[in-house]
Amino acid sequence: MKRRVNVIGVGMTKFAKPGASDDYHVMAKAAGLAAMKDAGIQYSDVEQAFCGYVYGDSTCGQRAVYELGLTGIPVVNVNNNCSTGSSALFLARQAIEGGLAECVIALGFEKMERGALGAKFNDRENPMSQHAQVMMDTQGFNQAPPAAQMFGGAGREYRWKYGTKRETFGKIAEKARQHAANNPYALFNQVLSLEEIMASDEVFDPLTRFQCCPPTCGAGAAILCSDEFAKKHGIANPVYIAAQAMTTDFASSFDEKSMIKMVGYDMTRSAADSVYEQAGIGPQDINVVELHDCFTANELLTYEGLGLCREGGAEKFIWDGDNTYGGKFVTNPSGGLLSKGHPLGATGLAQCAELVWQLRGQAEKRQVEGARVALQHNLGLGGACVVTLYRND
Amino acid sequence: MAELRFDDRVAIVTGAGGGLGRQHALTLAARGCKVVVNDLGGSAHGDGKSSSAADKVVDEIRAMGGEAVANYDSVENGESIVQTALDSFGTVDIVVNNAGILRDVSFAKMSKQDWDLVLKVHLEGSMSVTHAAWPIMREKGYGRIIMTTSAAGLYGNFGQANYCAAKLGLAGLANCLAEEGRSKNIHVNTIAPIAASRLTETIMPPNLLENLKPEAVSPLVAWLCHEKCEETKGIFEVGAGFISKLRWERSQGNSFPLGKAFSVDDVARRWGKITDFTDAEHPSNVNESFSPILDNINNPSLGGNEFIDLDVASKESLELESSYDENDLSLYALSVGAARDPLDKDELKFVYELGGNFQALPTYGVMPQIGAMLKAAKEGALALPGMNFGFDRLLHGEQYTEIKRPLPPHAKLKHTFKFKKALDKDPNAVVTFAITSTDENGNEVAYNEMTSFVKDAGGWGGERGDSGEINVPPAREPDAVIEEKTDANQTLLYRLCGDWNPLHADPAFARAFGYDKPILHGLCTFGYAGRHVIKAFSNNDGRYFKSIKVRFAKTVFPGETLETRMWKESDNRIIFETWVKERNEVVLKNAAIELFSEIPAEAPVPEQVSAEEVSAPQVEQAVTPDDVFAAVATYIKQKPELVDQTGTSFQFEFSNPDQQFFIDLKNAPGAAGPGTIDKPDVTLALDSEHLATVFGGDLAAVQKLFFGGELKISGNVMASNKLTVLQDMDPKLAEQARDKRVADGGGSQAVAVPVESQEPTMADVFSAIGHFIADNPDLIEKAATSFQFAFSNPDQDFYIDLKNAPGTAGAGQLDKADVTLELDSKHAPTLFGGDLAAVQKLFFGGDLKIGGNVMASNKLTVLQDMDPKLVEQARDKRLASGQPDTATAQPKKQKAPQAEKVLPELAEKLSAIGGQGGVLQIKVRSPDSAWFIDLSASSPGIVSGEKDAAAVITLDDSKLADLIAGKVALSTLYQKGDMRVDGDLALVRKLEQIL
Repeated sequence: MKRRVNVIGVGMTKFAKPGASDDYHVMAKAAGLAAMKDAGIQYSDVEQAFCGYVYGDSTCGQRAVYELGLTGIPVVNVNNNCSTGSSALFLARQAIEGGLAECVIALGFEKMERGALGAKFNDRENPMSQHAQVMMDTQGFNQAPPAAQMFGGAGREYRWKYGTKRETFGKIAEKARQHAANNPYALFNQVLSLEEIMASDEVFDPLTRFQCCPPTCGAGAAILCSDEFAKKHGIANPVYIAAQAMTTDFASSFDEKSMIKMVGYDMTRSAADSVYEQAGIGPQDINVVELHDCFTANELLTYEGLGLCREGGAEKFIWDGDNTYGGKFVTNPSGGLLSKGHPLGATGLAQCAELVWQLRGQAEKRQVEGARVALQHNLGLGGACVVTLYRND
Repeated sequence: MAELRFDDRVAIVTGAGGGLGRQHALTLAARGCKVVVNDLGGSAHGDGKSSSAADKVVDEIRAMGGEAVANYDSVENGESIVQTALDSFGTVDIVVNNAGILRDVSFAKMSKQDWDLVLKVHLEGSMSVTHAAWPIMREKGYGRIIMTTSAAGLYGNFGQANYCAAKLGLAGLANCLAEEGRSKNIHVNTIAPIAASRLTETIMPPNLLENLKPEAVSPLVAWLCHEKCEETKGIFEVGAGFISKLRWERSQGNSFPLGKAFSVDDVARRWGKITDFTDAEHPSNVNESFSPILDNINNPSLGGNEFIDLDVASKESLELESSYDENDLSLYALSVGAARDPLDKDELKFVYELGGNFQALPTYGVMPQIGAMLKAAKEGALALPGMNFGFDRLLHGEQYTEIKRPLPPHAKLKHTFKFKKALDKDPNAVVTFAITSTDENGNEVAYNEMTSFVKDAGGWGGERGDSGEINVPPAREPDAVIEEKTDANQTLLYRLCGDWNPLHADPAFARAFGYDKPILHGLCTFGYAGRHVIKAFSNNDGRYFKSIKVRFAKTVFPGETLETRMWKESDNRIIFETWVKERNEVVLKNAAIELFSEIPAEAPVPEQVSAEEVSAPQVEQAVTPDDVFAAVATYIKQKPELVDQTGTSFQFEFSNPDQQFFIDLKNAPGAAGPGTIDKPDVTLALDSEHLATVFGGDLAAVQKLFFGGELKISGNVMASNKLTVLQDMDPKLAEQARDKRVADGGGSQAVAVPVESQEPTMADVFSAIGHFIADNPDLIEKAATSFQFAFSNPDQDFYIDLKNAPGTAGAGQLDKADVTLELDSKHAPTLFGGDLAAVQKLFFGGDLKIGGNVMASNKLTVLQDMDPKLVEQARDKRLASGQPDTATAQPKKQKAPQAEKVLPELAEKLSAIGGQGGVLQIKVRSPDSAWFIDLSASSPGIVSGEKDAAAVITLDDSKLADLIAGKVALSTLYQKGDMRVDGDLALVRKLEQIL
């Protein structure tokens, strides 16, 4: 019998550019303490910790958690590329849901270097070699950051398929900046005009610089618990996880020689379908979404992958303003990866924090009025995708 | 989490007879706290007195099983209230200062009594109770104190001057007490509550009051009073379930440079910055408050503007290197007029290094650093720290040059450029750099100060500086005068010393700057003047020269006569001016030269230079790409297992100079060397200068090259990582290869050998071959092969067609050759010399690259019987006919633009999609051309030119040809980025229908 899993505390640091942040364990401590304070619990209440990060030697998770306390609890280090944070959340949810623990913490952090992502271990098979081969076969290798080539290439493929305007992608970045202007945790608080976005350096057509998420440092945390634990601690009506699914690559990622498929469209689609089925609701019931906008092209694809609009309908969806306040859904009220920043390990937990605040009505200027159902989408190439549905009844 | 309890704690709550105070008391008591319920029982305005209010609350507490006593004193009598606590419960742990009254009245109408009364109850009352409890709390090392402020005090409210002042006064009191109590575990916090109470019932509508229950404030008070709460000095807004913390926010502000007056205008100008809360800070104590002020004191900004950043300039420095030798010294001396009389021994010593008394003209001390700077500028690499302007703004204004001892006849120098000062001569600037030149042993050789006038770079409000005249000559007639005429071509000589500025050589350039002709270098005049002073005052011995300082006043034209007027101020100091005699204008002024009394000793040289080191070759031969790949080949031989491990073949395309190398770690036994490999797995294209990085074993450095676009990888990109198998290769292998090459007498690079006309040219060779083929038609049958030759140095194409009868040979390209041979022109004799072994050596040595059917290249041996005399005959014939060497002069064929040819093909098909959509622009690159198609026309054609278009596609000429020939799909071109689409992509896709 699966138990209900509650998110009783969330916390995150203000995201910062590389070189301007504290060290990872200091950031993780701040996020962890904030989440515990938010939950109103002591560290001694925490029974297990799931720590996500991509860049760092082994057991950084312990080093980070030891800042919160030395209680000898199990600490698991999680590494799943850009979906690392939500992968930690996934494990934490399983622990509570399966009755293995009453209260656990999912903690994500990242201290990134400047510049585009690159490989660190070059004396062995590259984990993304199959993905890279799809790209080699469809568009070759260019002088641009590899991730930008992959998602930008998916953007090209989409454009070709539907005749999408280049500005449509820019429009997403414009919206991200507008949302982030109200988020004190975001890296970029400055609004940018569509003209400025389109005029920024071209990274990989159709992506310009302001359409790519920046390397970022930061941490996020969430405290998950069972109903019994919540009751015992007098926590009434907490936000809870109504459904969650993780997917990895299907054959279509490589077989179809499609950039859209290679960057994980089917992972998104399948995880979303599963979540809707588990929860017994559909996309129309959702109020607010945090989705993986590492590049504008991926946000556009994800609208369709999550069923927020029909396939091929993203351009209209965007220009109709259905992705922001006053429209059908508010996507990335936090500013998303594009503007809030993308510290790989922390991103999934920062998304969780934003949605919990939204569902509690604590999102201040970003508050989506009457938000009751929230959807989180976090995707990493390599690959993994976690989709989570939160509710607050 | 266990319930937060207050068992055994004693609290005083003032004004606890009703409203907020009552609720605080009840909340604390319900959690086990013993409470002194203080209330005077008066009205909200401070009138009257009654014990009933406090008693009622005490009864309530007792009824729920709590402990409480009543106190009816005014809060002005804090001692009595605390005494009640001591008498009843023996101590006091918590003081909640809640009592207050209102006497709202506009400031204009406010009486002194209104003011006094409100301040007395709120401010003095809170002080009084707290003051009485303070020693007890300090003694026991524990205390929790609450002050009650108000939004009215924090933000201001009409008609409450007295109340606002008292309330914010409480926040100030709390701030101080929090600091004083910190070490004694006494926490002092302030709340700004809003709740329905006796104070608010008259000013708020009932429906609002209903929602502002005191119950929504007391939990915060209780938490702040709990022993677990670490908060102190906090200010909280609380009401109707909302609780939040306040703090001070401070803008980044503006720091006016310290020590320099700023005016009201400056404040007004910077108001935006002063009040901008972007990136605001939140100081929480006096130290943090003071820190930016301290910063301003300790690090006053030096100012500057977009052209000159004084903060950067003052912190950073630039290092450049240069060297000079006897030749440079002699050239310099000549170019500043030395040794006009070549028989004058006293002058010859400055220009003739073999004369035994060679010495440097000392003003040369200015040259090495300025030469290094000009060289860097010419290469676009000059970055004087903090100087963000182009050289075109710069005018050399003043120069000070000091040499520490006579300049050595040759030296390798390091110059450190440091900013010295900048004067703001709004709108211009005057910048001085100090340059220290040291030799290889670290001895300072020369010190220069270069002061330049920078046009339109001033105006940052910096120091203007005085324009004080220094080195002003005395009123008397000069003690010595020397005049000397410059040559009309003086600048052309002087510029060879390193000042390449076209202003001094190019007449058109000079005219553009408003001069009739090129002007003489200021530093050339400077050299003349230096010589004059040395001649007049140190017996023409440069070794006594110490320093020179001049201001450049006017321009000199080559050919004019320079007259230096000198005044001896002391034995060691000569003031001078240099004039142009013809125009009677002073060109160098405020000038002086200092002399040493004795010739300074030579610079110390570090000891213990071993004989071995001295005899070591001065210049080490560089490791060339040939050496590196030879080393790789050796390494592969040593470790044949690399082939199994790697299974990859690499092609390298170097540029600057262009050269190709390969590493084959796919086909056993593995190989490496110059040339190309068939179907490499990976191709790496890069500049030759990055060779060392690629083989340096530092993968991060290689990745940097890659992401920086300096290394282009095609083919299987991932496989390029396999190159790391070579990282353990001993770098000495490359050096050994180099040594071997040097020993063999090999040059470091192929050198282009000009073909002399008397020698047989390549055209002669092929002409001879043509004759030989004509004479031997059976060769066609024997060889049945066509050969294409691509020679380099110089680039020239020739062919031999032994496939198609009757067989030909000559300059140019064949349509389709069976074999392609690439080689340096100098190897042509070997190729046709008939020595197959020598040809094979060329091939295996990589000097001959064979493409196509390699085996077929052997067929060339059919020519080995050709009489070499045929070549000579061809040459003789050519020389006799007086024909120029046309073959070698013939440039390589340019690729013809194809757009023009292929687009009509497209036009024919366009009618199929006519009448659908707008104008499509086709921009073709390399070579460029522009075309458009109006798809709205029923029968659209292709027109040359540009037009307002709904969609624009941009692609290379060759790609366009491929596209129309059907070799590549439109979508593929787009996906690969070979075709860019702007505007309406759907319109472009219409082309797919017809392609």
